[in-house]
Amino acid sequence: MALATRRLAVAAGIDRGPFEDFLIDEARLLDERRFRDWMALFDEDGTYWVPSVPDQKSPFDQASLFYDDRDLMKTRIERLEHPRIHVQTPPSRTAHIVGNVVIEHVDDGKGEFRVGSTFIMAEYRDDVQRLFAGRQRHHLRRHGDTFRIVQKRVDLINCDAAFEAMAVPI
Amino acid sequence: MRNGHADEIAKLIEPGRVHRRVYTDPDLFELEMERIFGRAWLFVGHTSQVPNPGDYVTTELGRQPVIMTRHSDGSVHVLLNRCTHRGAKVVNERRGHAQRLTCCYHGWSFDTDGKLATVPVPEGCGAGFDKDALGLARAPRTGEYRGFVFASLADKGPSFEDHIGPMKGNIDDLVDRAPDGTLALDAGMHRYVYSGNWKLQVENVLDSYHVPFGHASTVNKQGVQFARREGDQKGAAVIETEKKQTAASWKDRKSFTAGNGHGWTSNTTLDDGKRSSPVFDDYKRMLADKVGAERAAEILTPRLHNSLIYPNMSIMGLNIHVRVIKPIAVDRTEVNIYPIRLSGASADMNFANIRLLNVTHSAASFVQTDDLESFVRAQKGLQSHLTDWVDISRGLGAEEPDSATNATRGLATHEMVVRAQYKAWLGYMDEAA
Repeated sequence: MALATRRLAVAAGIDRGPFEDFLIDEARLLDERRFRDWMALFDEDGTYWVPSVPDQKSPFDQASLFYDDRDLMKTRIERLEHPRIHVQTPPSRTAHIVGNVVIEHVDDGKGEFRVGSTFIMAEYRDDVQRLFAGRQRHHLRRHGDTFRIVQKRVDLINCDAAFEAMAVPI
Repeated sequence: MRNGHADEIAKLIEPGRVHRRVYTDPDLFELEMERIFGRAWLFVGHTSQVPNPGDYVTTELGRQPVIMTRHSDGSVHVLLNRCTHRGAKVVNERRGHAQRLTCCYHGWSFDTDGKLATVPVPEGCGAGFDKDALGLARAPRTGEYRGFVFASLADKGPSFEDHIGPMKGNIDDLVDRAPDGTLALDAGMHRYVYSGNWKLQVENVLDSYHVPFGHASTVNKQGVQFARREGDQKGAAVIETEKKQTAASWKDRKSFTAGNGHGWTSNTTLDDGKRSSPVFDDYKRMLADKVGAERAAEILTPRLHNSLIYPNMSIMGLNIHVRVIKPIAVDRTEVNIYPIRLSGASADMNFANIRLLNVTHSAASFVQTDDLESFVRAQKGLQSHLTDWVDISRGLGAEEPDSATNATRGLATHEMVVRAQYKAWLGYMDEAA
């Protein structure tokens, strides 16, 4: 399915490069803890979703690790900037790698795209290193010569595991 | 400590302090698994998790794997998840539906009431093979109140009624908020773990003292916490910023103990007249339609904030949920948190509660994460040998009887509730009990 749509995207003259660059830039903002700049990538109606079960259908009828609209994102980031956020004393350091980028769906009329990719994020904090990995799907909207995020969905391979505290977005 | 004599254990608890070994000694932890988690009434699950015959969920009581099933006759069973043949865990999924539960190893198959149904190659069974005696072991005693299922792994001890009696009102407080008068724990669950003793979490659920400092990162420059609930215009006033001290309204909050280690804190107002949004107003209307305006107003006026049903469960009234505490090792604990769906409330209202819980109590939440950091640091700090005692003396001697609730009352920023937990702890740990 993904392969076929990619061929379509290529046939329609859509270059994967700008999408890949966007995902790399987004990951870098998180790694540099530039959370406000990261939030600015989301459109006004944008959401950030990390489901708590595989293939979760909806954030509305069951628990999610994260399901932030812009308001909740702002509260989350204000907290990350707070001098007394104990769970970030010391702060996390993260390194993302994003790959296997596939343009899964193109809606030319609306200027919207769904882009799938695979990620690995290593996190180090307070003598402990841990690893997060999974698939992510960005629903993007054309915005001038770049994109805005309508939804970033992160499907961790261990989404239904018991986690130690997670302070930073993935 | 290995022999666990009662008088030796009693020395670890003094009126306003607890010895650090209570949190760090692996031998004491083994005794707790035997004497507390092997005896006490423990919360297992809610009947809404197994609505239909053949439904099951798996969980742990202490460290013991169990299955809660709904049998074909509608009865709910709490079975040990351990094949009676060679000991393998029979059910490996967290939830599911099956006519029979079949062990992966040699294929022994059990009915959903635990009865051994079939054994492959039956002609190999010896003459004395008693199929009836080889059903899955079951919790010797179970009890249910408004869908909340509890079990004791001991065949004797205080009755379910004795145990749960003082806390029935706290369960009612939550269940009555559903317009249809029932809850469903069917909206998934949050799971988190921390490298710390299980009692750090138990002590924390009724601890109002830590909020202004422990959760400082959720409080804005005006001293107000982020708005939590559907329809709230702003969050709780936690700090008086001009005076840089805990807000008076916070200091006035009360806590209560009612024996058996149970307790609760108050008050959380569900409707102070300022809480309003289309979704919340609609919920109020639906509740009033079902129970009448007078009763609805009663349900929505000052209610319980958080309740602890010792030793393994809490109910939170503010951002509604049920929490289950699962000890793994002396310094390792898992906690499961179930969002609650109020039957008869709109999907939007239930979503508002689910979304709120994501940001207050998921592993990635704004609130729980700072608590987890405190638990981990406590476990590290308690390794210190030069300061053996943990101080729990706040408000010692200031407790007073509360005739309205038949409980003992103190200030929520005091540590009366923690002392009550250790009184119950000693009761369980006493060898002769």
